[in-house]
Amino acid sequence: MADAHSLSTDATTAPAARTRIDATVLRILALGFTIFIVAYIAIPVLVTLAMSFNDAAAVRFPIKAWSLKWYYDFFGSPQWVDALKSSVIIALGTTVISTTAGVMAAWAFERFNFACKSLVYLLIMLPLFMPGVVLGLGVAMAFGDVSLFGVNVYGSRQLVMLAHSLWAMPLVFMLMEATFRTVDHRIVEASYDLGGRPVQTFFEIVLPSVSTGIISSALFAFVISLNEFVMALFLTTRDTQTLPVLMWLSLRSAGTPRLAVASVILAAAVFVSLSLIMAWYIRQLRKT
Amino acid sequence: MFGAPRHANAELTVLADTNALELDGVRRAFGGVVAVDNVSIDVRRGEFVTLLGPSGSGKTSTLRLIGGFEQPDSGSIRINGNRVDHLPAYQRDTTTIFQSGALFPHKTVAENVAYGLRMRGVAKADIPPRVKQALEVVRLSGYEERYPAQLSGGQKQRVALARSMVVRPTILLFDEPLSALDLSLRLQLRAEIKRLHDEIGFSAIYVTHDQSEAMAMSSRVAVMRSGRIEQIDRPEKVFGEPANEFVYTFIGESCCLRTQISAGAAVDSNGAPIDLRLARRLNDGAWRIYIRPSRMHLDRTDMENGLRARLDFTEFLGDVHRYHFKAGKVELFVDHPGAVAHAAGDLIDIGWQTADMMAYQ
Amino acid sequence: MNVRAVSEMEVQDGARRAPRWRMRLTPWLLMAPALSIALAFFGLPIVFMTRMSFNEHIDQRFYVPGFTFDNYAAMLTDPTFSSALWTTMRLALISSIVTVTIGYVFAMLVWLKPKRWRLLFIALALCPLLISEISIIFGWWMFFPKNGLLSYALTSSGLITDKISLMYTEFAAFVGLSYVIFILLSIFDGIDKKVLEASADLGAAPVRTFYEVLLPLTKGGVAAAFAQSFIWAIGTYATPSALGPDTLWTIGYLIQEQMLGKHNWPRAAAFSIVLTMGVAVVMVVIRMLTSKRTALNG
Repeated sequence: MADAHSLSTDATTAPAARTRIDATVLRILALGFTIFIVAYIAIPVLVTLAMSFNDAAAVRFPIKAWSLKWYYDFFGSPQWVDALKSSVIIALGTTVISTTAGVMAAWAFERFNFACKSLVYLLIMLPLFMPGVVLGLGVAMAFGDVSLFGVNVYGSRQLVMLAHSLWAMPLVFMLMEATFRTVDHRIVEASYDLGGRPVQTFFEIVLPSVSTGIISSALFAFVISLNEFVMALFLTTRDTQTLPVLMWLSLRSAGTPRLAVASVILAAAVFVSLSLIMAWYIRQLRKT
Repeated sequence: MFGAPRHANAELTVLADTNALELDGVRRAFGGVVAVDNVSIDVRRGEFVTLLGPSGSGKTSTLRLIGGFEQPDSGSIRINGNRVDHLPAYQRDTTTIFQSGALFPHKTVAENVAYGLRMRGVAKADIPPRVKQALEVVRLSGYEERYPAQLSGGQKQRVALARSMVVRPTILLFDEPLSALDLSLRLQLRAEIKRLHDEIGFSAIYVTHDQSEAMAMSSRVAVMRSGRIEQIDRPEKVFGEPANEFVYTFIGESCCLRTQISAGAAVDSNGAPIDLRLARRLNDGAWRIYIRPSRMHLDRTDMENGLRARLDFTEFLGDVHRYHFKAGKVELFVDHPGAVAHAAGDLIDIGWQTADMMAYQ
Repeated sequence: MNVRAVSEMEVQDGARRAPRWRMRLTPWLLMAPALSIALAFFGLPIVFMTRMSFNEHIDQRFYVPGFTFDNYAAMLTDPTFSSALWTTMRLALISSIVTVTIGYVFAMLVWLKPKRWRLLFIALALCPLLISEISIIFGWWMFFPKNGLLSYALTSSGLITDKISLMYTEFAAFVGLSYVIFILLSIFDGIDKKVLEASADLGAAPVRTFYEVLLPLTKGGVAAAFAQSFIWAIGTYATPSALGPDTLWTIGYLIQEQMLGKHNWPRAAAFSIVLTMGVAVVMVVIRMLTSKRTALNG
């Protein structure tokens, strides 16, 4: 479609030959750029993927023998498996906390007027723009020696979840605020009209019509938490270490193909959840 | 009637005593603009009242006040005799058929219709039969499992109608429900709403800017302008005895003869005399004389009033021909079934009865 | 008559009051979780760090309560800090320029290409966001350093004889690329594609059209995207410290070093406060720029 009309545009401009050369140059540039960006994104991914199947003990090219050796090694190591478990638990917790809090706050912003609205907005959004180092350090200092019911808050997974929510929650909030604005106000009124109380209306009418938005912002929250490692570095102990933290620490000491396996598994976790959601979304589309 | 049980009878009496809806001096302003200005309407049980007016006349605002989407600044709204003006929409016994239908896109037709019943806490077992019956009433049986996206515009509005009617509200509110549909569908659904009203006898307020819709459906029509009700009466009365010039011009097509009367003779705005014969004597001054184009007759000198004018051009409108005339600066048109044997430029006598004419100074 | 009037007033009053105070309270109840997270885990730590930055650091203890400006003064005198500041700014600037340029061209391509390519492009744009920074770092680390794939390829092809070590920090300017693309794409999507045809129709060559039409229309988006990626880039420390030469210290790295390496909490806190203020200043500047833009527009 666009190609066709850019052609027709070209035809209507004055010196046809020059325009044709221009268009060809632009097309070549666009192709070159696309190749460049694909390479830019794909190179580290492909290199990592290849390395994860390396049979050798060291990260070294060319790869002489292929094997699943490092995958067995990864799953055989309690430290790495625990880190993966920690990562998933923390990411799930962050998703629940930030999605609930973010959706509720976004609904409040969309539906109500109240005092200090822009100040509250700033307060909720500000952490998203803060460097992870600052947030991690701050939380570590503030909660370093706090204990609740005899349990140390510092080093607990819950603290990491809440710290990750500082990034995930504003993101959910921002996405959901935009999504709520697209809700057809008339169907909300229709629900009130038929006797739906505000809470019923919210769950029956509003939430289902923003389900795609909620699912995608929850996915964002999950991915952010799963991949985050700066805050986690400051806030975890050996027992609660997340996978990226462990990767970072072992990258600093010595890179082995095990790291590549960890990278692949981390990315796989993201893509599995992404495809689950895609499947859900397609089923949803088919329904209507 | 005599065999009816006692308290059922007593209850009927109580209900019959109160109006379905009473608006009394309702006023609502939006940031200095008065949208609804001192509106009072009583809707009797089973009555179908139309709010008719141009856009911005406050008819939809009035409906939203009744539905509970807005709160009045002053005045009172009673439903079944109970004051509701500060109750939110979900606590009022009204349901609205919206212009867009406002069906819930993620619910099936059956779920849409069941929604109001569920919200009102109707027993679970009673819901499916009532949904089924409501869909039968709007002739949509078999569409239960469809989603709104799979329905045509007319079907959507039928579902909206079923969804609103199934809860049996005291009063149904229609917010220009047909204006988004094309003409033939509009006429068809209009007749259907009329049939349902005749069969079921619900009370309704119907908002529209289409006077033919208002005439065709209503027990009474309220003509609104700038937030006020100009006239409220039966359609024939509003058409035949309009309260003022606005109502007259809004309610149907009309020609306006702008003339100057001096010493009993009519002149146009340039002062040139025009051949106008009136049964009623008008005072000297500027007059706007309105006649419906369908109530004027060609080649008639035997009627109470008459005007001799020059034929300018002719339009063919399908069931009638429209003849455009000029008498000096005065322009008018006459609808006449069938063609007449005149050519442009001919001087023709136009006649009409005094009852079909309105004159405003 | 009288009785009826009284009961009516009660009904009206009751009906009026209940929703009003509930209406006022509901938004705060809804925002309570979000606000408490922001206050407890952002507000409180900032207050804590501010206080901490005035404490003293003696021997190997994390901090000693006190009140001193030493930690701030040290920033002016300490060459490590000033070089880290310089490094941070330079890296942030370069990586933002690279990111915005790439993001801009990418968003423009997505906008220009037929709709059917769109999903593919969006998936591509999402990749940097979905893949952990640490994995990307590791991937580049394997690609670039002495025994990496690139130097292997270069040496074995005989192009160079010595194994190379590239300066690739800017190369890994992935920070916020996805966000930048989406910010710019939303700006592009707001532009009617017909302006291009109109410009071409009036005789402007494509490059001319870009300068005269597209760039002015997307100026605001470019500013916002640039600021966004700049803010994220100032805070980063993992990529440069892992991929850059050993002397490449950013403020983020310095903070980590003070906190975890030297256990000097007051110093780390002071650095953090300065970094936070830097981010806040950038945000205020953006705010001013964007509000001026809207003021100009109408």
